[in-house]
Amino acid sequence: MILIDLIMMLVTAYIVGFLYYGLYRNITARFQRRIGPTVWQSLFDSFKFFGKENSFSHGWMFYLGPVIMMSGAIMTLFFVPFFYQSEHFRGLSSYGNLFLILYLMLLGPLGNAMGVGASGSPFGAMGITRGLTRLFAMELPFYIAVVALISINHSADVATIAANQTTYNAFAYPLLFIAALFSFVAMMGQSPFDVPGAPVEVYSGPAAEFGGKFLALLMSQSAIFSFAKLVLMVNLFLGGADGFGDLLIKTFILFLFVVAFGSIYGRFKTPQSVNFLVKIPTALAVIGLLLAT
Amino acid sequence: MRFLNFIFTILVFWIVLGVHISWQLDLSSFGLDGVVVGLASTKLGDFFGVLVALSMLIFSITALRYKQASHFYGLFYLLSAGLLLILYARDYLLFFVGWEIMSITTYLLLSYSLSREALIKYVVFAMASAMSLLAGIAILYSSAHSFSYVDAHRGFTALSDDMSIVFVLLMLFAFFVKLGTIGFHYWLVDSYEQSSDLFTPFLSAILSKMGVFALIIFVVYVVDISARVHYILAIIGVVTSIIAAFKALDEDSVKRLLAYSSIAQLGYIVTALSLADGMSGALYHSLIHTLVKLLLFVNVAGIIYVTSRSKFSQLGGLIYRMPQSFIFLLIGIIVLAGMPPLVGFGSKFLIYTALLEGDNLLILSAMLFASASAFLYIYKLIYGIYLGHPTAKSLESVREVPMSFLIPQYIIATILILLSAYPAMIVPYFNQILQELKIETLPFVNTATISTEVASYNGLVVLGVFIAIFALVTLMLLSLSSKSREVKDRFDIAYCGEEPNESTHLHYGYSMGKELRRVSFVAVILRNSSSRFYDYLSKQLYAIAQIVRGIYSGNLSLNFNIAALFALILLWWGIQ
Repeated sequence: MILIDLIMMLVTAYIVGFLYYGLYRNITARFQRRIGPTVWQSLFDSFKFFGKENSFSHGWMFYLGPVIMMSGAIMTLFFVPFFYQSEHFRGLSSYGNLFLILYLMLLGPLGNAMGVGASGSPFGAMGITRGLTRLFAMELPFYIAVVALISINHSADVATIAANQTTYNAFAYPLLFIAALFSFVAMMGQSPFDVPGAPVEVYSGPAAEFGGKFLALLMSQSAIFSFAKLVLMVNLFLGGADGFGDLLIKTFILFLFVVAFGSIYGRFKTPQSVNFLVKIPTALAVIGLLLAT
Repeated sequence: MRFLNFIFTILVFWIVLGVHISWQLDLSSFGLDGVVVGLASTKLGDFFGVLVALSMLIFSITALRYKQASHFYGLFYLLSAGLLLILYARDYLLFFVGWEIMSITTYLLLSYSLSREALIKYVVFAMASAMSLLAGIAILYSSAHSFSYVDAHRGFTALSDDMSIVFVLLMLFAFFVKLGTIGFHYWLVDSYEQSSDLFTPFLSAILSKMGVFALIIFVVYVVDISARVHYILAIIGVVTSIIAAFKALDEDSVKRLLAYSSIAQLGYIVTALSLADGMSGALYHSLIHTLVKLLLFVNVAGIIYVTSRSKFSQLGGLIYRMPQSFIFLLIGIIVLAGMPPLVGFGSKFLIYTALLEGDNLLILSAMLFASASAFLYIYKLIYGIYLGHPTAKSLESVREVPMSFLIPQYIIATILILLSAYPAMIVPYFNQILQELKIETLPFVNTATISTEVASYNGLVVLGVFIAIFALVTLMLLSLSSKSREVKDRFDIAYCGEEPNESTHLHYGYSMGKELRRVSFVAVILRNSSSRFYDYLSKQLYAIAQIVRGIYSGNLSLNFNIAALFALILLWWGIQ
């Protein structure tokens, strides 16, 4: 029973994740006065890459790096309940808690770092260092907000936090929400915090050596992971969801905000984004925490 | 001689697990009225004793590869005896004796390989710690008229306010030096770096734990755990963790990086000890840290043994030459980072929930931050040694490390993975310790589920699901029609359209972390160092010593005159 549930969660996240990725490309294109690809283009791309021939491998750790990333994304997804009341789509959330989810979200970066390190490309390693540098800064405001929410609800269970909201936490604790949103933009790899992924540069960034099926795996995990993060954010701040319609609307609004934000602002250098994140969003989060508790 | 190690290890295991120690000595007959000293087995002592015995086992196995003089091992046994004395003492007098034995034997063991400067640093700090402890014990004795732990709290409450502050500061100084808390870690990094590779695992795994043990005794028996020391400890712990994480990143030497990592991890334990509820987390983290540091330092010792290189800028690309060592280091860093599915998460989870229940939310956030910033130096550790490119031709022909390095790692990795699946396996045992210390016990559901009042998690499910997903994804990837071509030439990488060759610097481990200097708060951390303060202090002391030297010049007749004058003054004072 739980197995079917997990598979359904995975399929949903895969399809919706790629749908959102397609929409992201489309919306960004409109911001730049282009037409952009069709919405399902990214999904088809991923299918295509899975079948591409002649992808390079730099040994077994290079091979397993993307696998660890994918496992991290799926693990995160399984521990975030989609709906706060439903029997279904709860995944494994009763075996874990919010702290576990926070740490599971770090498994992906670890796998990425291992795989890229094993590839031997210095440009890849550069991207990883940037990513890990951004990581601790972007987690700080988010952690403070999450700690505040756990303390307010006196529970580290995501479904409980989602169900406890009579007014959405986003409106009840606006400072925490704003602080967490900055982190969230960074977590989604959006501008102005997108320098580690280096999406514009051709020959740098963590994905430098990954082609073919590895690239397909990276794209897929990114889609699944993005959706998991969106659902988590909806659960924490937007009152959770009690049906698919609710879930899709709320995640899409959040997603649209992130994409619009990313399209408008230019890119920070790594030290700039760290300096920014540990100052303003962190200060907001601390004030929010003190006000809330 | 080296096989004697195993005999002594078994002896320590037997003492810790098999013997119920109970011994008392009334010192009245020696002229100390009412002073009773004694040794007794306690659950807490047994717990740390098991850690000591385990570390001795690892030491004994690794020692098969090293040639040390036989008195090196003799001193090592003496050190172990001192440790057991600390663990089983029931009063501060024997505790102090054990502490001194530990400090002095460690000094002698370090003197085999430390430079003069590092050795002086060690001995100055160790002696300052011991003297400060002695002064603290004297203050306590003045009001309690007993050295026993049982009377210690009564003695502490009887102290005047000013005196109790002095007392707490003296004791904390003594423990912080052993723990290497930031500001008092000046000796630690050099000692760890230069000590024999055989001895460093023990140094990091056990000697720092004695600081933890002493702190536990102090907060449980002497001061009330909810008293004023609470916030001081919490803040000092978390600041230590954050600063040490960034200091670690700046190091080029593998063992120095690990030394800072050790400091950071002990910071978590200090923070956990600021709360009564944190005791279980502190104990768990002590266990995990002991295991992980044994694993990592033995791993690094193997690397240094095989390659004779100990700097990130001289290593790199060893993964395919030493796959087993790589896997062990990977396990080690995952536990060190506190990432699920391995057990490092369990101990951190206990500490976090304790902080949450104690409403220390900002401390908790700062701790999560420290934990996330540890990622960078942890990545540097594994990347610098195993990933990237070899920095020299000779590194391409090295072999896997010898078995005497691998066997200890197999032992520890097995324990770690077992604990990962059943993280609550040792909770009943912890509960016995907590009962003994009169602290609220942890709820126990089953061996796989660690639960606290706020939340719980199931280690078996997390590990099992991770392995299942990992296996499925790997199978899927393998079954895909597109075969991946193994790249044989290591220069066959994307490199901006150019072709790198032997002379291109490809190993990023060279400078990893240097760019963090551009982040303003990290730059502040890296620019400031306690060594400046200590340098200043030593300069001033030297100036004072110059003045004293002017009087006490070594001239025999002058010395005699000074001594005679001193005796006269004493005599006059006595008559008065």
